[in-house]
Amino acid sequence: MPLSPAVIPELRRLLGPDGLVVTPEGRMTYECDMHTFYKGTPELVALPRTTAQVMELVRLCRRERVAVIPRGSGTGLIGGATAPQGGIMISTTRMNEILEIDLANRSATVQAGLINVWLSNAVRDRGYFFAPDPSSQMVSSIGGNASTNAGGPHCLKYGVTVNHVLGLEVVTGAGELARLGGKVADRAGYDLTGVTVGSEGTLGIVTAVTVRLLHTPEGVRTALAAFASIEDASEAVSAIIAAGIVPAALEMLDAAIIRAINEGIHAGYPTGAAAVLLIELDGPQAEVAAQAERVAAICRDHRPLAIRVATTEAERTLLWKGRKEAAGVLGRMTANWLLQDAVVPRSKLPAIMREVAAIAARHQLLIANVFHAGDGNLHPLICYDERRPGERERAIQANEELLAACIALGGSVTGEHGVGVDKAKNLPKQYAPADLNFMARLRRAWDPDNIMNPGKLLPSHPACGEGLRVGAPVRIPSGAWV
Amino acid sequence: MTSALGERLRAVVGAEHLADGASAAVDGVAPRFVARPANVAEVSRLLGLAHAEGLAVAPRGAGTAQGLGNPPTRLDLVIELGRLNRVVEYEPADVTVSVEAGMTLDDLERVLGKHRQVLPLDPPGWRARTVGGVLATNASGPWRFRYGTGRDALLGVRFVQADGTVTWGGSRVVKSVTGYDIPKLLTGALGTLGVIVETTLRLHPSPECERSWLLGFASLDLARGCLAALLDSALQPSRVEIVNAGTLAALGEPVTAAALAVSIASVDAAVAAEGAELDRLARAAGGGARQLADDVWERYGSLFAGARGVRLRLACLATSVTELVALVDALAHRHGLGARVGGCAGLGALTAVLEGECAPDAWEPAILGPLRDRLEGEGGSVIVEQCPLALKERIDVWGPVDPQALALIRRIKTEFDPTGVLNPGRFVSRL
Repeated sequence: MPLSPAVIPELRRLLGPDGLVVTPEGRMTYECDMHTFYKGTPELVALPRTTAQVMELVRLCRRERVAVIPRGSGTGLIGGATAPQGGIMISTTRMNEILEIDLANRSATVQAGLINVWLSNAVRDRGYFFAPDPSSQMVSSIGGNASTNAGGPHCLKYGVTVNHVLGLEVVTGAGELARLGGKVADRAGYDLTGVTVGSEGTLGIVTAVTVRLLHTPEGVRTALAAFASIEDASEAVSAIIAAGIVPAALEMLDAAIIRAINEGIHAGYPTGAAAVLLIELDGPQAEVAAQAERVAAICRDHRPLAIRVATTEAERTLLWKGRKEAAGVLGRMTANWLLQDAVVPRSKLPAIMREVAAIAARHQLLIANVFHAGDGNLHPLICYDERRPGERERAIQANEELLAACIALGGSVTGEHGVGVDKAKNLPKQYAPADLNFMARLRRAWDPDNIMNPGKLLPSHPACGEGLRVGAPVRIPSGAWV
Repeated sequence: MTSALGERLRAVVGAEHLADGASAAVDGVAPRFVARPANVAEVSRLLGLAHAEGLAVAPRGAGTAQGLGNPPTRLDLVIELGRLNRVVEYEPADVTVSVEAGMTLDDLERVLGKHRQVLPLDPPGWRARTVGGVLATNASGPWRFRYGTGRDALLGVRFVQADGTVTWGGSRVVKSVTGYDIPKLLTGALGTLGVIVETTLRLHPSPECERSWLLGFASLDLARGCLAALLDSALQPSRVEIVNAGTLAALGEPVTAAALAVSIASVDAAVAAEGAELDRLARAAGGGARQLADDVWERYGSLFAGARGVRLRLACLATSVTELVALVDALAHRHGLGARVGGCAGLGALTAVLEGECAPDAWEPAILGPLRDRLEGEGGSVIVEQCPLALKERIDVWGPVDPQALALIRRIKTEFDPTGVLNPGRFVSRL
C-alpha cells in the first residue's frame, strides 16, 4: 500500500526534524546496497536514535500496512536492504552506542548500528576481541552482521556471527519489543535468538545485540603460499583440513585477484602465481609453532612456488590488507560482475575449482576467485561488460551453472552473504516445498501482516502471490509455500 | 478402539516393533503403545496417523532424559527411535557427519575415532544417549567451554512435523545462511515442533594430547579469584569445571571447599607449557594444581547421570558461579540434603544433584524459590531436570519464561502443532 502523506508530520514528531529523509535526492542514497544490480528507493528513510522510536515506527507501519526495510550500513551483497516494493526504510546508523562491556563475563551489549570493528577496538587494549570479521568490518554494523549472520575469514576457526550472539533486542513485525537471550547462556524455551540471527530483517528489526567477546590468542602466525595451479592450492587446502588442523583463516586468491590487488594497493603478493593461500594460525605459542611446521610441510607436498611467513605485525597487516580490500579493487578488473557465495563440502574443493574453470572457458568469461577456502565457501566473481552484446546473458548462465554444480556436490546456496532478493529464487534448489513452507509459516509468528522486508529471503510462489502483498495477513496452507 | 489402533500401528512398523505402552510411562502417564520405526518413512506414517486420530506422541531416544519436562497432559504413543541408528554419510575430509537420530554417541564415537575426529557433546552419561535426544534436550557437558553446545554443532536437521510432513532445515556444509536457521529452532525444543530423525553435525579433530588438573582451594573466594585470572588469561582450556566439596568426595579426591577441574588439549608441547602456566595461576591464587587421571571425566559425568535424587540445571553469569555453588551448598545443608555441584565455570552452566529426605511440599520454598529469586535479576534460570513425580506435580520444572519470548514461543507452537500432538504439556509454560 502506498504511504499516506499524512504520516509525515506524525513521523517528524516522533523522530525530530533531522530524523527523516524525505527528499528524492536524499532517498536515492538508500536505493541499493553494495550489490548495485538491485535498486528500490524507499518512500521515506527513518533515522531513529532509540529502541522506543523503532517500536513506534514499526507500529505505525503495521497500522498503515506499509513495508519496513531495516538497514544497517548498507554493505550487504544481496539487495537485502533495498525497497523494491517501496515502504519505510529504518536505518540504524544513529543507534551506535556501546551499551555495556562486561569483560568478566566476556560479553558486550551494543546498539545495532555500532560498527563491527569499533567493538574490537574498544576492548583490544584489555586483551579481547569480537570474532566475526566480515571483510566489510570497517563499515558494517553489528546489527547488520547479526541480521545476515555474517561470516568472515576467521570464522573457519571461530564460527559465524550466530556462534557469538548471546542475545538480541528486536522489534518484531507485530510491533512488539522482544528481548531474546542475554548474557546468561542457557534459557528455557526455543532458541529464538538463534532463529532471529540471519533472518535478514524479515522477522523484525534488531535494535541491540549482546555478543560474546574472546580473549586475544597468545600467538599468531600468518603465511602466504603461492602455487602454480589452482588445483595444487585446492588440494593443499583439503589436505590441511583433513590433517586435523583448524587454521584461524585459510583464504585463497587467484591470479586475476592477485594482479588487481597488487595494482590497487601494492600488497606485494607474488606475481606469476595461479593461486595464493593466505594461512593464519592462532592460539598458544607452542601450538601455533607445531601446526605452522605441519602446514608448511603440507604446502611443500603440493609443489609451491613460494612460501612466505610474516615476521612482523606490519608484514602480517599487509598480507591481510590485500585480502580485506579485495572487494574494493574489483572496479579495476571489470565493468560489471556477478558474485556467487555458494559452499561445497571441503573435500570437494578441487572438484569445484575444476568446474569453475570449465564454466569460465565454456562461456568465455573471466571468473576471478577470492574466497574462504577452508570453509569451502566460494566467492567466484563472474566478470562481464554489459556494453558488449550477449555478455550479460552469458554471465547469468555461468552463474546458474556454477550454483547448480555446488548444489550437486552437496553444497549450499549461500555461505555468509545471505539470500536477500538476489538468491531468493534459488532456495528451491536446496529446499523442498515442505521445507520452504515451514520457513514461511515460521515467519508468520513474528510478522503476521507480512510487513517486514517483504520479497527477501523466501522465494515467491505463483500459487501464493496473494501472500506476498505487503500488509495482507499471510494465509499459508500447510501444503504450500510463498 | 485400542485394538483397531494397534492394527494400524502394526501395519506401519510390523508386529515385532510395536509393544504395549505400560512399561514406557512418562512421569506416570503410560502410553497405549510404543512403536519402534525402522526409518524416516515409518516415523512419518506414525505421526500422520497420530495427527489424524488426535493422539498425543512422545518421541524417545535412549530414554535417559525422559525425566525432563513437566508431566505430559496426554500420552498415547511413544515413538522410540533406536532403530534409526545408521550413518547416512561420513566423509572424514569434510569434518562433518550425517547420522540418524537414534544412534548413540558411544556408537558414533567408535565411527569417528577411527579417523581421529570427535563430536564434542559430552553431557552426563553421554555414551548411552542418542544424537537426537541430546540435541532435543540441548544437553551439554564440560566440553562446551571450548566447543559450544548442540546449537553450534547441528548444521542440518531432518525432522517429522506433527502432521507427518518430513522436513529438512539447514545444510550439509559447515557454513550456510540459506533461509532461516531451522536447526537452531529444533535444538532444545524437546520434540515439540517435530521429531528429529537425521542430523548433519560439525565435527572437530581429536586433540593429540589432553591432560587434566584439579585446582583445589580452601575457600570459594580463592576459587573465584583463580577462575577470574584463568578466564582473563591467554590459556585455552577445553574444560573449566567448578566442583563443590560433595562432588570432590564422590570423585574420591581430596575434599576442599571448592575446586576447578581444568583440561587442556593441544599438541604435547603446548599442553606442557599451558599446564605449567595453570599451576602458576593456581599457586598465585592461593591453591595448588594436581594432575588428574585420564578417566576422570567419565567418572565425573556419571555423578550427574542416572535417576537418583533431584537434578537441577542452573544457568547464571560466569561471575556468579562461586556464589551459586555456595548458595546450593547452604540450602542443601540447611535442609539436610547432600549436594553434588559441578558445571562449566566459564559459562555459568551448573548442574546440582541433591539427595536426601525433603518433603515434596518443602522444595519450592526451601530450594527452588531462593535459587530462582537469586537468579532472576541476572537472567538466569533453574530447570529441574529430574525429580520424583510427587515433587514434579507441585512445581513448574522449567520456571518462568520471559513473557515476550513466551508469546513468540506460543505462536510458533500453535502454528506447527495446533492440536498438541507432540509432547503436550511437557515444555515451558506447559505448552
